Amino acid sequence: MENIKTKESQYARSLIEASLDPLFTISPEGKITDINNASISITEITRENLIGTDFFEYFTEPDKAREIYKQVFAEGFVADFPLTIRDGKLTDVLFNGSVYKDEHGKVIGVVVVARDITDHKRIETELLIAKEHAELATKIAEEAQSKAEEATQIAENAVISKQQFLSNMSHEIRTPMNSIIGFTKVMLKTELTEKQREYVTAIKMSGDVLTVLIDDILDLAKVDAGKMTFERKPFKMTSSLSAMIQLFEPKIKEKNLKLSNNYDSNIPLVLMGDPVRLHQILMNLVSNSVKFTLNGTITIDVDMLHQDDNEVIIEFKITDTGIGIAEDKIGHIFENFQQATNDTSRLYGGTGLGLAIAKQLTEQQGGTITIKSKLDKGTSCSVIMPFKKSKKELELESDTIEMDTDMKGTKVLVVEDIALNQLLMKTQLDDYGFECDFAGNGKVAIDKMQKNTYDIILMDLQMPEMNGFEAAEHIRYHLNSKIPIIALTADVTTADLKKCKASGMNAYISKPVDEKLLYAKIIDLLKKRIPAKEPVRSRCVDLSYLSLRTKANPELMKEMIKLYLDQTPELIGIMKQSLADNDWDSMHSAAHKMIPSFSIMGIPQEFENLTKIVQEYSGTKKHLNELPELVLQLESICLQACQELNEEYGKIKKSQG
Amino acid sequence: MTKDKKILVFLVDDDALFLKSLEIDFMANTACEIKTFATGEACLKNLKDNPDVIILDYYLNGVNKHAINGLTALDRIKAANPQIPVIMLSSQDKIDVAVNCMKHQAFDYIVKSETAFLRLQKAITIIFHYQQIEKALSWYMEKM
Repeated sequence: MENIKTKESQYARSLIEASLDPLFTISPEGKITDINNASISITEITRENLIGTDFFEYFTEPDKAREIYKQVFAEGFVADFPLTIRDGKLTDVLFNGSVYKDEHGKVIGVVVVARDITDHKRIETELLIAKEHAELATKIAEEAQSKAEEATQIAENAVISKQQFLSNMSHEIRTPMNSIIGFTKVMLKTELTEKQREYVTAIKMSGDVLTVLIDDILDLAKVDAGKMTFERKPFKMTSSLSAMIQLFEPKIKEKNLKLSNNYDSNIPLVLMGDPVRLHQILMNLVSNSVKFTLNGTITIDVDMLHQDDNEVIIEFKITDTGIGIAEDKIGHIFENFQQATNDTSRLYGGTGLGLAIAKQLTEQQGGTITIKSKLDKGTSCSVIMPFKKSKKELELESDTIEMDTDMKGTKVLVVEDIALNQLLMKTQLDDYGFECDFAGNGKVAIDKMQKNTYDIILMDLQMPEMNGFEAAEHIRYHLNSKIPIIALTADVTTADLKKCKASGMNAYISKPVDEKLLYAKIIDLLKKRIPAKEPVRSRCVDLSYLSLRTKANPELMKEMIKLYLDQTPELIGIMKQSLADNDWDSMHSAAHKMIPSFSIMGIPQEFENLTKIVQEYSGTKKHLNELPELVLQLESICLQACQELNEEYGKIKKSQG
Repeated sequence: MTKDKKILVFLVDDDALFLKSLEIDFMANTACEIKTFATGEACLKNLKDNPDVIILDYYLNGVNKHAINGLTALDRIKAANPQIPVIMLSSQDKIDVAVNCMKHQAFDYIVKSETAFLRLQKAITIIFHYQQIEKALSWYMEKM
């Protein structure tokens, strides 16, 4: 019996000692009567030294410790009371305690258990921080995503509608401009009096300016993105200015105004800058002065404010004696679509864009623009801009084109529906000594091509019956003619440029046609063509791209060529089989698969486009009757490519030794 | 993600030529480990290698008509392990194809062109950026 009791008590003792939580028994007087091992290790005081000492001494706040102690006696227990043990590390603990009694129910002491909560506290803090971080991260991620999605959507919509609008507008304006500038140029070649020549030059100049402006509007996207680019080329300030002033002379005379022009003769003859933009800025200012001045003088002062070895700073000051601007309106005058008063546009016309453009152009070139004005007295605009000095002397631009006599008698087919433009083209081509023939649309052109032979085709894009793209495609893929085709059009968007290339045209000229450019392009294409006429077939593969991609690693190049040689005949085989089986889905897949190989092996774009057409026709199951011919063409080019690649493979292998 | 473990990329395309050129680009410009497969089936068989990213051609049955197509392969990859990000690749520049791929949980859709590789590289960078954010988030969530 006694033995069992001892065993039980030993067992209980071992459990208590095993606990990791410090355990104390305390007498009613507050003296420690017993402890377990955990208490020893946390306080780092031996059992002998702990027993009998004052329990409260081991806490940072003995008073509080005494309080729980009292509470335990009063209420019989205490739960989760926080205290800090005054050990080496100041361990935070939670106290749980209750009284214990003898067999008569008399309280003989308190047993308290302290639970170390250092880790709890640490985890709690970390958790809080972690939660904050996580919330922050999620928020940032969500925000970034929604912002990105929104921005993409807006950008996409804007780009599409802008492109459409600009394309339409530029076409509408460029078509009549082509006639105006073209005929002006023709007129300049006739015999004119001095005055007439001056006026016609002014027309041409204005036309050129207008064309440049249309180009500017096409650049709008760039301006919006703050990416307007400025040329830096040598130009003559004096001739730039006099050309600009000339534009206003008729108007100034008409209004009976005086024009005074003071030019600082110290300004270097040739400067570096963007003459077109300078012209644009000054033209806007002078045109305002002329517009808003009823009588008096317009003064244009050009002064050099400063010069060093590299740079000059020039002030252009345009002063008038016009209606002036009220003081409270000057602040708004540079904003888009702003005029000084609402009546202004009714009385004097204009859009209110001029000064805004002038300001933008000036500031983006590192200049400043200021305006001073008094109502009813006049206005003075000052533009201060830096220009780099030019080391080069500017050669006089010659207006004569060097004629290539060998090219006389070249037969040109002009495909153009507007009679006025036909006439204009004829005058220009006659000048070069070319023979020309006309077709009013693509259909007529194709008919004529079958009857007569031509050296080159100039192709308008927008025509009734059959447009330029269709006609070019027909010439390339049905007539199998490699005759050079130059596209002529008023649409100048990159999308059109791609379409031209895709339909097999060789070059592109935008209207109004610059005659020098046209001549240069015609000669260029014809000269290129001459060697092409020889029976030797030109190589169709070009490994420069592959070599770039593989960093000219012969093993990789060989591997790629090998893959092409394995894969391509198989694909051609599938296509031919599909033709036999009328299996258009297979045809579509095979064409699709073949597309990337053309650019990898440097095979001309037209064949990739051919494959795309095969893909489209077989995918949409339209024009199926044209597929056999197209596949035949593909087969022939792929055979040639394979042959050439075989040779290349051999060469690479040989060079490896 | 341990630093010494290379990112494993699966390239799947039945156009051997394009596949090779893509592989060359990856080898030359990234430190990724590349495995290439000519069919969706082969790719699926090797999913146990735990690729970090799969780049999958949309038109996988161009040569062999009985092979599974890109979307089916995509679905099966996602069914096997929805965590693997898959970038779809196609020479078709069509919105509905792209949208369809996204609906099937592709991470991105890239048109085969000269710039395809650059765009792939970018997409992969974004994937890892997202994964890092997600990992950090789930770590924090666990702690909570």
